[in-house]
Amino acid sequence: MLQVQNIEKYYGSGNHVTKALDRVSFEVEDGEFVAIMGASGSGKTTLLNCISTIDSISAGSILLDGVSITELSETELAKFRRERLGFVFQDFNLLDTLTIEENIGLALALNHEDPRRVQRRVEETAGKLGISDILGKFPWQVSGGQKQRAACARAMIAGQTLLLADEPTGALDSKASKNLLEIMTAMNRDMGATILMVTHDAYSAGYAGRVLFLKDGRVFNELLRGGRSRAVFYHEILDVLAVLGGDISDVI
Amino acid sequence: MTLSKLSLRNARRQARDYLVYFVTVVLAAALLYAFNGLVFSTEIRALSQSMATLPLVIVLASAVVVCVFGWLVSYSTRFMLSRRSRELGTYLLIGLESRQVARLFFLENLAVGGCALVLGILLGGMLYQAFRAIVLTLFGMAYRFSFGFSLPATGLTALYFLLIYLYALRKSRKYIRKANIHDLLYLDRRNEEKAVRTGRKRRLIFIASILLGVLGTALLMAGNLSLGLAGAGCIILFLYGFFLSFASGVPAFFDRNPARKYRGQNLLVFRSLTAKLATMGILMATVSLIFTATLISEGTGLVFQGLYQGRSAPNACFDLFIGIDDEQQSFEPYLEYVEDNIPVEDSLLYPVYCGVDTDIIDYLDLNVKFYHYGIEQDMVMKYSDYAALRAIAGYPEARPEPGQYLIHCINYLEKALRQYDRTLTMGGVALTPGGIRTEHFLQQYSTGNGNRYLLVVPDEAVINQPVHHQAYAAKTVNPVSEEQYQALSAINQSESRTNPMGWDAIHTRANEKAEVAAQTALTVFPLYYLALALTMTAATILTIQQLAESERYRRQFALLRKLGMDRREMAGALRRQFAIYYAMPAIPPVLMGVPFLLNLAKLPEPGVMVGVHSPAAIAGIALGIFFLVYAVYILLAYTSLKRNVLPDGI
Repeated sequence: MLQVQNIEKYYGSGNHVTKALDRVSFEVEDGEFVAIMGASGSGKTTLLNCISTIDSISAGSILLDGVSITELSETELAKFRRERLGFVFQDFNLLDTLTIEENIGLALALNHEDPRRVQRRVEETAGKLGISDILGKFPWQVSGGQKQRAACARAMIAGQTLLLADEPTGALDSKASKNLLEIMTAMNRDMGATILMVTHDAYSAGYAGRVLFLKDGRVFNELLRGGRSRAVFYHEILDVLAVLGGDISDVI
Repeated sequence: MTLSKLSLRNARRQARDYLVYFVTVVLAAALLYAFNGLVFSTEIRALSQSMATLPLVIVLASAVVVCVFGWLVSYSTRFMLSRRSRELGTYLLIGLESRQVARLFFLENLAVGGCALVLGILLGGMLYQAFRAIVLTLFGMAYRFSFGFSLPATGLTALYFLLIYLYALRKSRKYIRKANIHDLLYLDRRNEEKAVRTGRKRRLIFIASILLGVLGTALLMAGNLSLGLAGAGCIILFLYGFFLSFASGVPAFFDRNPARKYRGQNLLVFRSLTAKLATMGILMATVSLIFTATLISEGTGLVFQGLYQGRSAPNACFDLFIGIDDEQQSFEPYLEYVEDNIPVEDSLLYPVYCGVDTDIIDYLDLNVKFYHYGIEQDMVMKYSDYAALRAIAGYPEARPEPGQYLIHCINYLEKALRQYDRTLTMGGVALTPGGIRTEHFLQQYSTGNGNRYLLVVPDEAVINQPVHHQAYAAKTVNPVSEEQYQALSAINQSESRTNPMGWDAIHTRANEKAEVAAQTALTVFPLYYLALALTMTAATILTIQQLAESERYRRQFALLRKLGMDRREMAGALRRQFAIYYAMPAIPPVLMGVPFLLNLAKLPEPGVMVGVHSPAAIAGIALGIFFLVYAVYILLAYTSLKRNVLPDGI
């Protein structure tokens, strides 16, 4: 589904060029749940921003279903993001002025969906994610876990095929994190969502089917879960992190 | 870092973040200084006797303006305080005492106010020159630029500023002292509740407020002081009731019509507007109220100006005119004074005769709205006098054909009198209508050249007609001075007159002009001063409210971009949000102000409010001035918001 081929990303100009991504290549198959791990500054978020077309790449190409997204126009990119990509952020990124229901429905409204259908779709999706009872509330009236589930609902309601999650559990307590990760797993397993999740946290990464490790802008290692249990996979991830070193070990 | 350094840095940031507010405070200082300049100017006061009251009028207007600006500064300070609650909370959190935080805030505001005062006084110096030029032009005098710095004006401006700032800062100090850390840290994330919760109550308030609005406008137009005051009260209730119920009604409407909510950009546009429901409702109502007052001030200024000009122009056609009220009264004292003191080029002492019937009065009564002030007969002038008077006034010759009579009337009656075709029989001669003349001819009084109209007949026709009154007109070598005019007026009022109750009409061209200039300066200046202060205040408050939301808008549009909204749509949503935000408080004032002004401008007697002073023109000009100032603020706010919220990169 997603092919990242030799992408490079530089920041700055003249003598102050920083290389954020260095010939990164990998592929994500349809229906996969991939986690990307790495220390601060390793290029995780830059990679995610490049895939989500919010940031441009300096070299290489990114193909989604065979279409090179680096060659799309501004309008095509907007359409692409609207229809194909779903986002979940660490700080939820819900609009304070809109109710939870409206925040979820917003993605459909932007797609110029028939307004009469929006409310029904929102209710359906919210039901699946267990947030039907908070639809009328504003973001500041609900818990972090509920906000993040609302963000997940928004990320999938318009039928988006690729869910990009940037530290989705970063601002949640362990119970809410577990709950969210189970929901994401269910979305992946039952609804066929392809998920690409950036995380610091080995526990979260343990839910994925595959983990990519980034270091200094390059893919350092890759772990496949295969048939192993989550607990075993989690320990394998910890082993890689120990080798990877750096400040990531402090969050284990 | 010391506290004072921190406040200086904050002050700089405040001036940058709230540039519109800072500019308005500078302009406020400039306005106050310029008007104070008028108060202390001996040159202006010496222009005419009536101008002696100018300082008093300006000081009274200043008192109101200081209150208006005081409210602006107090509101903005309080507003900035709440916007910075998290920062202030952090100061408290790291161990600063609330007393110190209050002092920090006090110092930085004082620094901003001080800078604004200095810049404002410099700008005010220029503005004062503009005012001087306007006043001198009004009095028909030459203006020469001379940049002077008035110490008393500066002192008074500084005093006003001190009052404004002390009031605002005392309030914010109280707020800081009472605030607790938790509230300060978490204040800014919440939406406000609906001000009026239940639908029934909201609908009731909405309907009642609309009724009050209609009633208030009707009462304001009734032209009676106590009814007018009641009307103003109704309008205040209408505005608050309307905006509070309206703001609360929008979310309820969308709850009932979910499909509408998701159409186009409705969701974004209306949710952003209703996020701050209660404050928005009150703010919009207050701003609307201020705008209503502005429009009415501007329009009233124009009406007064039109009234003075419209009433004075017909009386300014001769350099000197005296009409004697009582036939027993002697002209001698006047003529002696003129002979001794006023060099005359050409003059005429002449009788104005009574007419023969009331045909024309009856005709006018039927066909136009006509005021005849108790005069029940025509006035007639013989042609030779008329021709001489035209020469004195500087008008071209106008000779009727033999066997005809001329009508000389005010503009307003021309259309009706053109249709008048009756023959006039006087002194045994039958005369047919021979045309209409409408130059200004002193036709407003019973002692003038006819009461709104005059019949001009061949000399032989008046031989047997009784004299109505006598009058004197002169073309002088120099304009008649203020002193000479006062001396002539003194003769009119002296006790040696045969009939002390009589009232002679004395008009000089110079005095009429000076009177118009003085009256204009006395009423129009304060009204515009007030109007300008009010528009600036309201537009600034709207604008800082809007710009303070920049950060929220920026976050919103950054997210929308990720969700796939393209730039064109985002700009469209922003524009719509903006248009509704600025249009809402301007609509009720226009709906109420325009009928009020149209009605006010129709109150003076017919024929006065014409041309650029006609009711429609006055309403149009007042709206034009108002929207011009408003547009400047809208444009400033929009460009600034667009730059912050939708950078080119997006």
